[in-house]
Amino acid sequence: MMSSLTRLSGALLLSTMLATTAVLPAQASGVMRLDEVPVGELDPAKALDNADSLLMFNVYDTLVLPAQGQPGHVPHLATGWTIDGNVFTFTLRDGVKFQSGNPFTADDVIFSIDRMKAIGQGNSYLFQIVESAVALDPMTVQITLSETYSPFIASLIRLPILDRAEVMEHLGPGEGEMGDWGQAWLSTHAAGSGAYEVVSHNPQAETVMVRNPDYFLGVPEAAPDEVHLLYGLEAATVRAMIATGDHDISSQWLPPEVLAAMVGDGAHLLQQAGVGGFYIKLNTLKAPLDDMNCRRALVNAFDYATAVAINQVTPDVAAAVPATGAITVGMFGANPREDGVLTRDMDAARAYLADCAYDPADYTIELSWIAEVPLEERLALLMQQNFGELGFKSEIVRVPWALYTDLVSSPETTPHVSQIAVNAVTGDPDTLFYPMYHSSQAGTWQSPEYLNDAEVDAALERGRTAADPEERDAAYHALNDRLMELAPTIYAYDLNEVFAASPRVTVPAMEDPAYDFSLDAMGLTFRLIVMND
Amino acid sequence: MRVVWAFLRRTGTALLVLFGVSILIFVIARVIPGDPARVALGPNATADQVAALRLALRLDDPVPLQYLHYMAGLVRGDLGISLYTNRPVTTDIAQFLPASLELIFTAGLLMVAIGLPLGIIAARFRGRWPDHVVRVVSLTGVSAPSFVWAVAFMLIFGYWLKWFPISQRLHDSFQVAPVTGFLLIDTLLAGDGAAWRDAARHLVLPAFALALAGIGQAARLTRANMIETYDRPYIEMARAFGFAPGRIARRYAFRPSLIPSLTIIGLDFAAMLGSAFLVEQVFGWPGLSRYGVQVILRKDLNAIVGTVLVIAAMFILVNIIVDLLTVLFNPRIRLAKGGKA
Repeated sequence: MMSSLTRLSGALLLSTMLATTAVLPAQASGVMRLDEVPVGELDPAKALDNADSLLMFNVYDTLVLPAQGQPGHVPHLATGWTIDGNVFTFTLRDGVKFQSGNPFTADDVIFSIDRMKAIGQGNSYLFQIVESAVALDPMTVQITLSETYSPFIASLIRLPILDRAEVMEHLGPGEGEMGDWGQAWLSTHAAGSGAYEVVSHNPQAETVMVRNPDYFLGVPEAAPDEVHLLYGLEAATVRAMIATGDHDISSQWLPPEVLAAMVGDGAHLLQQAGVGGFYIKLNTLKAPLDDMNCRRALVNAFDYATAVAINQVTPDVAAAVPATGAITVGMFGANPREDGVLTRDMDAARAYLADCAYDPADYTIELSWIAEVPLEERLALLMQQNFGELGFKSEIVRVPWALYTDLVSSPETTPHVSQIAVNAVTGDPDTLFYPMYHSSQAGTWQSPEYLNDAEVDAALERGRTAADPEERDAAYHALNDRLMELAPTIYAYDLNEVFAASPRVTVPAMEDPAYDFSLDAMGLTFRLIVMND
Repeated sequence: MRVVWAFLRRTGTALLVLFGVSILIFVIARVIPGDPARVALGPNATADQVAALRLALRLDDPVPLQYLHYMAGLVRGDLGISLYTNRPVTTDIAQFLPASLELIFTAGLLMVAIGLPLGIIAARFRGRWPDHVVRVVSLTGVSAPSFVWAVAFMLIFGYWLKWFPISQRLHDSFQVAPVTGFLLIDTLLAGDGAAWRDAARHLVLPAFALALAGIGQAARLTRANMIETYDRPYIEMARAFGFAPGRIARRYAFRPSLIPSLTIIGLDFAAMLGSAFLVEQVFGWPGLSRYGVQVILRKDLNAIVGTVLVIAAMFILVNIIVDLLTVLFNPRIRLAKGGKA
């Protein structure tokens, strides 16, 4: 019996081996593949990370888009808007149809805001200040905010517009009239008007999308016909797939050495800068870092050039750009790069240390790094060496993300030093710095500094309430100066997201500054990508 | 009758074990550091949003109460919603389990089809070159973890030689409606031979990577047991009767040597459900092991408990099957039980 089993197994194996000797199917023309981290969230009200944003930006449309190659926003589903204090009135584009064929109207905008607020996940916090949204007529919508918030237009980048009629047909069970607000259905289906339609969605494996033939702006001929967004691929797998022509665009999460190897295999690099920074955060309530001079000593002892070098991909490209101050270059209030970048200054570090009330030998600094981000371990080692030169003892602590978010909820459990890369959710500095430094926001993953400074609070509040761009710029310049003085954070470098791409694709928004959206994930707008085959 | 009674007794014990596992994993999942609501809602969620989700998930209830609520759902076939995929856990398991099982069944097939014959050859030609070759091959197989083989196979057969695909389960050009979730079966049901071949080709590298250690282990064990059997007097008698060496190997040496190999292969098979994670990760295989690790990292409580329960149930099931097969193939056990009856 068992020998029969072995023979049967052998026969099956042999037949499989013979059957599988066919030539590999070639990558189909017009099909583009890219990858991101697990998992892809298709419901736009729950979209959080890059994978979710990629789906959101390509399957759904928003009222406005970031202007390419310049600051500000341009009309998209809205053709224009007026602002009167806290009241924003949008004129909507006529003739737009959702992928279902339903026409786009003001009711869809109102429904999308209501749904976002009701579900309370993803980026819904951006819209909690919406007091009311009413339709003045089918193609005009008026949104009133409960408080003044100048960057609201930028927030609309995170408000994908859903097809109300389609979602209402698919409400699932739940409390109240709206049931589950269509959450169950929208986790596997789309109700957008975007340039690409979802064909299939497996949140752990891939989402397949095809071009929407009725897209209101049209999809250029050169754009991909079909897109496969794959989730959770290993670095080695992506490298091999791009080299064999089975993959087109990597995620930005690959180690620099893997990206460099892919360049060696013939890939080219895509870049997205100006979206955020890498911050080494100092707990300002924990001795010896509650002394500003001790913090300044560390800020000056940090080796900025080596931190950038750790991220070097090729001699010309790094996943890091030297910082010029607290604010990322490209945003309101940033110091221009021509005026110089942050550098190590051991003399200044020693001078500040001399004014510090604490003896560094009496303390052991906890240098934490997020377990899911191996690069941070290298930076922790760099800091250990840098700070050791000042006489600080330090201990490197590996902290899983889930634990880190708990630890930072109290200043006592927050490590002396935390490392975080943060992007501006809407591209506006308010979404980057208000959650970091306003005293009302202390004790989150973004604000382990526990900074409590009236001048910083005032600058942040001016930044979000001033209507005039010049006034906002001045507010953020004041913020920049004050932060550099207080030294709650080591501004290690500005982020420069680097992706590897096969020769089959050209991505103008990430290869030519004139087309740069300066917003995370928006550079990979599929309809603007050119397939070269 | 005794065998049926033994099966029922094992099933009862298995249910008790599953009950114990459910309590253990339910408590352990809640001891892992981190707030699942905070992790699920993302870094920008407000404290109110986190509190609302904690309330919805009953995370503020005492753990025993949470467990009772979970078990009430479980008996209705409701394992809750996964915070990782925002879908019912049962939907996730139904989608990801067949992918893992297909991979593991294929790896198991390779272990039997290659490991056992290698062991037989090594024992048959003990001390000669085929034996040395098999020993080197099997030692190589067991000496490196499966993810090392996964990366090596991917580089050699996918990247350099381009013989096999290195990611996913099926090429984009094939569309096969899921029926069982097993692509080798679904493609046959669809009558699409090209898709079947493509699905089989996608299986080759991950299945070999996963099976290699088991192949080595099965070969070594079979060899050792067969060598021991070859030294038995009845084999000498068979030789004295002039039976052909092949017949002696197959009929008189191999069968008694199989029982330990069968047990080990069974255990390996069950263990692969949990350990296939790295192979699934390397080959982008959308299976349950990969899902299990991701939900642990995200502290997705419902999905952790659901996944562990399914893997534990599979482990217990395979053990019961192995025990039954052992009874079936071992006349001493079978006859002893019969004798008692």
